[in-house]
Amino acid sequence: MNRRGLALAWALVVCMLLGHNAYLWLGKRIVPDTDILALLPVQKRDPILQQSFTHMVEASQQRVVVLIGAADWADAQRASDAYESVLATRKDLLQGTELTDQMQNDWLAKFQQHSLTLLTSQQEVQLRMQPAEFWVDSALAKLYSPFSGPKLGAWRDDPFGLFGQWVQERAQETPVRPRDGRLFVANKDKQYVLLPLTLAVPAFSMDAQRVVVPLLEQAKAAAHAAVPKAEIITAGVVLHAAAAGEQASGEVSTIGLGSLAGIILLMWLSFRSFKPIALILLSIGIGFLGSLSICWLLFERIHLLTLVFGASLIGVAQDYGIYFLCNRLSADPKLDSTALLKRLMPGLALTLLAAVIGYMGLAFTPFPGLRQMALFSALGLIFAWLTVVCWFPLMISGGTLKSGALVRTYGNALKHWPLLRMNKATLSLVAVFTVLAAIGFSRLGANDDIRLLQNPPKHLIDDQIKLSMLLDAPTPVQFFLVRGANSEIVLQREEALKKRLDPLIAQQKINGYQAMSNWVPSAQTQDARRALLEEKLLKDDGPLTQLAEKIGEDKAWAATTRAHLLESGKLLTLNEFLKTPASEPWRHLWLGDVEGVTASIVALRGVSNVDLPLLQKTAAGLEGVQWVDKVDEISSVLGLYRQYMSWVVLAAYVVVFGLLFPRYRRHTWRVLAPTAVASITTLALLGFAGQNLQLFHVLALMLLLGVGVDYGIFMQEHPNRRNTTPWLAVGLSAANTILSFGLLGLSRTPALQAFGLTMLMGTALVWLLVPCFGRENTDDSRA
Amino acid sequence: MMKRLFLSMCLAACTAVSSAAAPIEKIQNMLAKPKMLCGRFDQTKQLSGMKKPLLSNGRFCVVNGKGVLWRTLQPFPSTLRLTRDEIVQFQGERVATRLDAKQEPTVRMINSVLFSLLSGDLSQLQSLFEVDGSADVKSWRVALKAREPALAKAIGDITLEGGAYVNNITLSETSGDKTNIVFSAIQTGETALLPEEAALF
Repeated sequence: MNRRGLALAWALVVCMLLGHNAYLWLGKRIVPDTDILALLPVQKRDPILQQSFTHMVEASQQRVVVLIGAADWADAQRASDAYESVLATRKDLLQGTELTDQMQNDWLAKFQQHSLTLLTSQQEVQLRMQPAEFWVDSALAKLYSPFSGPKLGAWRDDPFGLFGQWVQERAQETPVRPRDGRLFVANKDKQYVLLPLTLAVPAFSMDAQRVVVPLLEQAKAAAHAAVPKAEIITAGVVLHAAAAGEQASGEVSTIGLGSLAGIILLMWLSFRSFKPIALILLSIGIGFLGSLSICWLLFERIHLLTLVFGASLIGVAQDYGIYFLCNRLSADPKLDSTALLKRLMPGLALTLLAAVIGYMGLAFTPFPGLRQMALFSALGLIFAWLTVVCWFPLMISGGTLKSGALVRTYGNALKHWPLLRMNKATLSLVAVFTVLAAIGFSRLGANDDIRLLQNPPKHLIDDQIKLSMLLDAPTPVQFFLVRGANSEIVLQREEALKKRLDPLIAQQKINGYQAMSNWVPSAQTQDARRALLEEKLLKDDGPLTQLAEKIGEDKAWAATTRAHLLESGKLLTLNEFLKTPASEPWRHLWLGDVEGVTASIVALRGVSNVDLPLLQKTAAGLEGVQWVDKVDEISSVLGLYRQYMSWVVLAAYVVVFGLLFPRYRRHTWRVLAPTAVASITTLALLGFAGQNLQLFHVLALMLLLGVGVDYGIFMQEHPNRRNTTPWLAVGLSAANTILSFGLLGLSRTPALQAFGLTMLMGTALVWLLVPCFGRENTDDSRA
Repeated sequence: MMKRLFLSMCLAACTAVSSAAAPIEKIQNMLAKPKMLCGRFDQTKQLSGMKKPLLSNGRFCVVNGKGVLWRTLQPFPSTLRLTRDEIVQFQGERVATRLDAKQEPTVRMINSVLFSLLSGDLSQLQSLFEVDGSADVKSWRVALKAREPALAKAIGDITLEGGAYVNNITLSETSGDKTNIVFSAIQTGETALLPEEAALF
């Protein structure tokens, strides 16, 4: 074969890859998918459900909420002024919400025109149950008291106070009130100014995090300078994103630089040259870029998790280069590199095949995310492998590499390594191991909590909790989704749902609900309520006529008042309401027409985790009503992936065994056993440590199979114990893997920590175990 | 949104028991500011669309640090009690409506304004209202107009008259409803509060 031609052809392919990548990143500016639901099987996804999330979550994503509190309202206002004056300098980043008199003024005008159709459910019950005197008494009390509670317009517009109470119930959907041109909330100790801010830049962009967070800090400092005792509570997705970014970059600089320095030092001590590390990085880099290019061409998108998992392939991709380099180091310098490669080819080919087949197992799962990961991984390995095969022989010739003292000392250790023999000691060891592993396994739980993916700093969580207690705001990730053929049906279904939720409020399981039908009852309900009100209060000789007598007015007065009240009996329609400024805070609840179906959201206030199953049951049997819990859904995606991945790992062992069998025959088990024992031990150790199994442990076990099989093949390719070359390749590769992934065990993100810890224990164990499964008294016939 | 409703209540309550005026200092010096104050009120209400005015009378009490009690006796017994954390309306023995600060945060705000007024701190009132008044040796008169248009629209104009205590309040709402309250037989000190009234606090 023409080596040079092959190398040139590969160079051409690499140039194309580089060009395509440059176009993707710099020209198209591609952004990886971050929506974890994009990983769900397509048929499982529901466009209306999807839109409801987008509605609830994306709207809250751009929001930053600030509460500025002090014991005294005047102090809170002063602190708020100082805070806002800092924000005012960057209106391009953060925008406040203007409170206008117009908004406050017109708030009620719309509802007043329909006051006869708007009743609270309590009033509805009272109208059915209470006698006429009750209403006459209420009206008189209201009439004679100088300040008898909420009063809207003239007494005559609402003589029985029904509309006033309805408005009051609406007002209580939020504890936030306008006060002196600001928004105000309070608790027992403090009065707070509420500043709802909107980000003008995307919350997940680096710009937002780099500029907005310091700006908020600066504003906070200014507020504290004005009022030292002021309490500032801040919450927003951007703060979490910034904290996560900060943590990641902090870890990259400590863990990342630490491992890079370790790897470079190790390679230099082994080869006395920086050339090998450069070559290995080259093969890994080409592997990564190549798979990205092809994945993009095939899927036209790439998920962040794919990239994360793909990046972890370094552990496997490096093995090919290291194996070649170690053999180059120990081979006769006169031996041509091309000839050397030819000799190594069977082992190299097998390592690649085993890994690729293992990963392809993922492609047979129904999850698009896993398929993408499988393709990405397999392609990455193939590209890295081809780079080694096409380029390395030409780049490294005999005698380029020299070994150091470390390599010799390390190589000598192999002679003294224990070797497992078929004897009583081994059998009892196996028995003890089996028992211990079984105990460890039995302690292993499972955890698929979404919080594994991120763990925000404590002060952010504290602020979030304080804020949600003060504002009593509904959670954007758990709600009821209501659907129907048209808006009237949706409103009726909301009302049916609310009837089931009311007892939960009475039992204090939830604080309340927000729904469009609170403001605009269905036409059916409005009609029924108006009819009820007319019958119970306005008919001849009813409470209105009796009231007229008591205050010395005649029948004519009663007739005029009745006519006046009936004027405001027109039905309120949803479209009318949506046009008013009063609907602004509630518009997000109305999804409207989505693919021919009308949908809305009923949001809940004061939901505790304990009551989630109860809420799920509440929706049962109600047509068109669905309980939605994004937290739960993401957790179940993670759980499903964990289970599928576990089976894929097991299946991969079987497939790899079958693949290796033709070459190693009765010794095949020796290739796989170290990895299998290391994986089992790692799981048992996790069990003893009280850890819960999660997706990222399993992903690490998959990767461990990839690297472990490489080590097994290296050792079995050269079964002679006097040949230390494979042992050196295993040592270098394992040390690099530990340095790059094992150190992730130091990460504060639970998912990365689990991944790192598994890799750390697993790789170290495979490394230590692999010589134990060597063969006795063999010649190095294959070398 | 609810502010104007509650402030209108609050204001009525506040002005019923004390007063603020300009020149504030002079009026403030004139006011007695007792710890406990009770008396008789006579209320005349003229509502739009009604021929006859509605007359009522009863007793009112203001207890510093506790709250306000407003007892309508004639023609229709009903009691209103404002304390730090709630506003309760009794219809006979029955609680007709109860509004607490947990449900309605402005309750505490209303009461804090009320209490600061009782202790002679008029800054709260001035921050919400334009105060225009006059005072001679023994009496004073003040007109209040809300600074915020929305609030002004909801509660209209308020006039206070008094000497050592507030004697007269007039509320003129934009809807055309008009209320006048005259205070008399004012007593101060521990004995002012009747036993049945003390039981309500």
